Amino acid sequence: MTFKEMNAAVMLLGAVVISAWVLTGAIGDPTLTLSAVATRLCWAILASIVFNIAAIIVFTILISIAQGREFRDEVADERDRLVGAKAMRNAYVVASLAGLAALIVWALGYEVTTGVYVLFGGLMLAGAVDAGSQLVYYRIG
Amino acid sequence: MGKGQPGITNTIRVLRFHAGEMTQAALAEKVGVTRQTIVAIEQGRYSPSLEVAFRIAAAFGVPITEVFSWQAAD
Repeated sequence: MTFKEMNAAVMLLGAVVISAWVLTGAIGDPTLTLSAVATRLCWAILASIVFNIAAIIVFTILISIAQGREFRDEVADERDRLVGAKAMRNAYVVASLAGLAALIVWALGYEVTTGVYVLFGGLMLAGAVDAGSQLVYYRIG
Repeated sequence: MGKGQPGITNTIRVLRFHAGEMTQAALAEKVGVTRQTIVAIEQGRYSPSLEVAFRIAAAFGVPITEVFSWQAAD
């Protein structure tokens, strides 16, 4: 496993963990105001950043110990940029669909907060698709 | 070029052998790409840009046609 693959795996893990946390909160207290939901999602974004940084540090240390040498990132080359672009393209499709889904939810007359959750969930899914696509493209070309 | 193309083959493994069993890491350093990219090219999972293809040929001191060949699909 390369550093970039590990980074993608951590991003994927982070998206799953944070999404699960937000979903649990949404189900546990569905009567929150828009302001409260927005605040919760801001905390979720902050938690996502902290989780990713901490997980990368921890996994880098663990893999370095397991391999017996420093596990570090390499300078990106043309293949890395191509993999990143293709993964981003997939994520863009999912993010666009998330935007559309949120609009449909509001158009159908659901609560504003429901649409916000749909939008946030869709964007987290887009992040997961980006990371998952990178893993697939690095493995199968 | 992008994802590996079915009609493109390469002789990098043979050329590395004739170059004193040059490692993939050494070739990667000479070409200026990561070792994983050399692995992917060698296995036909990735077709490099024209520039990288020329760099690989230059690393072995051979013409590009001796490294890569292309056969049209029937």
